[in-house]
Amino acid sequence: MPRYGIAIDSTKCIGCHSCRVACQNQNGLESKETFNWIKNKNRGRYPSFDKEFIPLQCNHCENAPCQRVCPTGATYTSPEGVVLVNPKTCVGCKYCMEACPYKMRIIDHQRGIVEKCRFCIELVRDGGTPACVTTCPTQVRIFGDLDDPKSDISKFIAETGAQPLRPDLGTIPKIFYKRS
Amino acid sequence: MQESAWGWLIITYLFLAGAGSGAFLAAVACDLLAPDWSKALARAGSLVSGPLVAIGTICLVLDLEAGLWEPWRQIYMVNNLRSMIAWGVIILSIFIPIALLYAAALNEISFIGKFANKYLRILEIGGSLFAVATATYTGVLIAVVNGVPFWNTPMMPVLFLASAISTGLAAAMILAAIIDAKTINTLSNFALGHVIFLSVEALVLMLLVFMSLTRSTEAAISATMLISGILSPYFWGLVVILGIAIPFILSVIEYLEYGQMPKALVVGADLLVLIGGMSLRALIIFSGTPPQII
Repeated sequence: MPRYGIAIDSTKCIGCHSCRVACQNQNGLESKETFNWIKNKNRGRYPSFDKEFIPLQCNHCENAPCQRVCPTGATYTSPEGVVLVNPKTCVGCKYCMEACPYKMRIIDHQRGIVEKCRFCIELVRDGGTPACVTTCPTQVRIFGDLDDPKSDISKFIAETGAQPLRPDLGTIPKIFYKRS
Repeated sequence: MQESAWGWLIITYLFLAGAGSGAFLAAVACDLLAPDWSKALARAGSLVSGPLVAIGTICLVLDLEAGLWEPWRQIYMVNNLRSMIAWGVIILSIFIPIALLYAAALNEISFIGKFANKYLRILEIGGSLFAVATATYTGVLIAVVNGVPFWNTPMMPVLFLASAISTGLAAAMILAAIIDAKTINTLSNFALGHVIFLSVEALVLMLLVFMSLTRSTEAAISATMLISGILSPYFWGLVVILGIAIPFILSVIEYLEYGQMPKALVVGADLLVLIGGMSLRALIIFSGTPPQII
């Protein structure tokens, strides 16, 4: 079984939000709902000023706090290492939203359940790649198998030394960032 | 990305579950340890305990979404025993019936109460264990959340237990004053309880805030919000002054001036303890700050 992850080269991100729109299209989300975000970070002062765009989404942590606190077991990890929510058993208690240190979960008030990035698992199982990855005009994201040393993502991480956000939180995220 | 997914319903639940389980402990302590004059407080405590926790649990259920519209989904809520909510469901489903049965037994309400009265000691001992479990678990519920570093400390359950006992005693004293006006003089005996548990609560709260200032960046942000930031007027005004300092002083006077204090001040001190307990829960939830991730 593969162990999927995404590597993000934030130095290439232009902040166009195509990934957000592609995700909303793929998952049938309303305009206010989204499973991914782009946050800005300003560094320095004029004239040595730099603005960084950081694409964010569920980290599909291997030691996922959301899964640990879910009373119903609706949050589970698929064999491919993708953290998913079973819409039939989620009660909407929002404990997972509190537990997620990255705050990457949203509540869908229409269906009364918590939702999140699912690595477009239906596309991926059919041999495709997640919508946010394919749509990006500057190819910020690389999707692939973290366990395969020959995959593009593994090579990218090995070459650039990309790191997850806040690895000290101990959740073992599967999204890696090259930030400078 | 939301700051806090939980709001007033959860805060009300945390408060009512604490006050209800505290009232149970106050009732048992009076019935077991204190002489006859404390029976009014034991009866009041037992009567108020079950309903408070039950109303709190209704708030908890109202906060659910799919689990509210499709109530059968709530059966799944004990699936994952690594979740504190699953333990909460188990603890509440045992404690609420015991508390209601204890109220019936102590007040000899209906034939059920007369029957249960024979097993009063068992109800008191077993019920006390589950009352402590209820009060503590509301703290553990948020203490295990590593998504909010300010909550993520073992001091949180201790603070919640101390606050549960003082708010529970306050709720029991108010009902005792309502159902038995003559009891007002003997209520002064319980002022000592307030003195003790408000002191413990103040000490734990002080430790929590001080330790949080150095524990992590995010915990410090939360603690600073409380002591000097946007929430500080509520923290100092509602929790520290109205909720702890004034009832503490009133309770000391009440204890020293045995039975001489006007009824309005006795009940007033208890109401302030309740306001303080509710405000404490609200401020802890609202000051929760997630880790800085970028």
